[in-house]
Amino acid sequence: MIYEKHYVWSILLRLYHWAMAGSIVALSVTGFYIFNPWTLTNLEGTGLFPMMTMRNIHMLAAYLFTGAIVARLFLFIFGNKQERVWDVLPITPRNIKNLIDTLGAYMYLTDHHDEDRLGHNVLAGMTYVTTIFVGFIQIIAGFYLWLPESSFWQKLGNIIFGTQQFGRYIHHLLMWYFLLFALIHIYLVIWNDLKNPDGLVSSIFTGNKFRHREVK
Amino acid sequence: MTDTPERTIPDPQLNRRSFLKGCTAVAAALGISEAMIPKLVEAATSAQRPPVIWLHFQECTGCTESLLRASHPDIARLILDVISLDYHETIMVPSGHQAEKSLHDTLDKYAGKFLLVVEGAIPTKDKGIYCKIAGRTAMDILAEVAPKAAAIIAMGSCAAYGGIQAASPNPTGAVGVQDLVSGTPVVNIPGCPPNPVSFMGTVLHYLTFKRLPVLDNLGRPLFAYGRRIHDHCERRAHFDEGRFAEEFGDYGHRNGYCLYKVGCKGPGTFSNCPSARFNDVDVWPVSVGHGCVGCTEPDFWDTMTPFYERLPNVNIPGIAGITNIDKAGKTILGVAAAAVGIHAAIGIGKSMVTGCGCKDKK
Repeated sequence: MIYEKHYVWSILLRLYHWAMAGSIVALSVTGFYIFNPWTLTNLEGTGLFPMMTMRNIHMLAAYLFTGAIVARLFLFIFGNKQERVWDVLPITPRNIKNLIDTLGAYMYLTDHHDEDRLGHNVLAGMTYVTTIFVGFIQIIAGFYLWLPESSFWQKLGNIIFGTQQFGRYIHHLLMWYFLLFALIHIYLVIWNDLKNPDGLVSSIFTGNKFRHREVK
Repeated sequence: MTDTPERTIPDPQLNRRSFLKGCTAVAAALGISEAMIPKLVEAATSAQRPPVIWLHFQECTGCTESLLRASHPDIARLILDVISLDYHETIMVPSGHQAEKSLHDTLDKYAGKFLLVVEGAIPTKDKGIYCKIAGRTAMDILAEVAPKAAAIIAMGSCAAYGGIQAASPNPTGAVGVQDLVSGTPVVNIPGCPPNPVSFMGTVLHYLTFKRLPVLDNLGRPLFAYGRRIHDHCERRAHFDEGRFAEEFGDYGHRNGYCLYKVGCKGPGTFSNCPSARFNDVDVWPVSVGHGCVGCTEPDFWDTMTPFYERLPNVNIPGIAGITNIDKAGKTILGVAAAAVGIHAAIGIGKSMVTGCGCKDKK
């Protein structure tokens, strides 16, 4: 058994991934605070600005998140073979077969692993495309809530959400999608890494994956 | 001539001093230079100023009441004396056929010149039979009057966006003026009730500059609805510093802390309330300890309620009964975590029975 090393994830994709992961953590924590500030600064004139600080972190992380989403949209079209959107959606017979195999494997029905596929399996790819779309909506809702005096965001937000308050509701609701996604994502990544020794977890740090070959 | 302790009944006449005071207040609300005040005065006293027809549909007359309350007599008298109010069901002298005659006289004489003010929503369901005046439906009256107006001012949240009549499930199919009228410019002055200053500012802007003020995407004049309440609130410093009233009557509430946690909708509401204030006594809801309820926003009865919570109770289509998204989110996350645990346990169990399912087993 030998292992071939393959360069799979570009530096931009790895930066995107960690920008997204870090900003989701920061955005969720500060978002919960902004929604329901749990501290109480009863001492006046202390110069503590918890809400202001949380909001500043939220906005900073929001720009990081926006940059990450834009980078991923760019890579969907201009990235390498594994990163392009048509490699991960069930639009070719090869991808549809992979989707069925993946579902089977996740249900412990088969042990099949696509040896010619280095990138995401199609189920993961579909989820990532959905997540990027949800992130896009989340960004529009966020800017609509933050900069409603801007005619552009007001117009766009009014078309999509109707009112500020409904935009706020959607913004809060979609946050739960990201928490749910994070839970399942981390579990399945570890699960896959245990099943198939191709170095899935380390690949998002190093960019390399491994393909194994039997040696006669 | 404004109210003094000796005189609580206002003088029905508008004298020069209160006239100028009213014009100055309006100029301040409009944010125009004091050098423009003489032009406002000139426009307001011009003999050619357009008459106004004021139509009442599905409403509570609260908007009219808010204009007429004697606690802001300068503005009220300015409205009544300066604009030539030819038809207003609440305050006009004629009634019955005489009232209808004065409406039609104005329509004929000033077609294309008069200002139309609409108060209240217009029901459209079942051909609009849920609101009738003089035997005609509101839809019918609006369809007759609106095309002949030079401009329409939708006064109050009902006329602008349907208001409480249009709140879910909207049994009468009530809509705002802008949904029924095309071809005639419509200015929305939402609020429940709106500040009289915003109404008078719009009228005087039209009289002075011969055009309507600049509007936002919801048809509201920017001079009055261009800024968020939250950003001009006197309690904003408490918000930034994390000092909140946790419930009504507690330490924070008594000390004037931010009302965010008791459901103030200031962060999502656009109006000049914190700066223009109400009733010439410099108060507005937040200043007297109650959170903003967001009455200037479309669908505020549906999306701003419950008034003492941050987020609306919206039923997600298809998932009945989920009204608290944080509760739902935690439940879904808990179920997902349990599913992950079961999935992992099945995997471990299977590998114990059949051996390692992984690729590099020897």
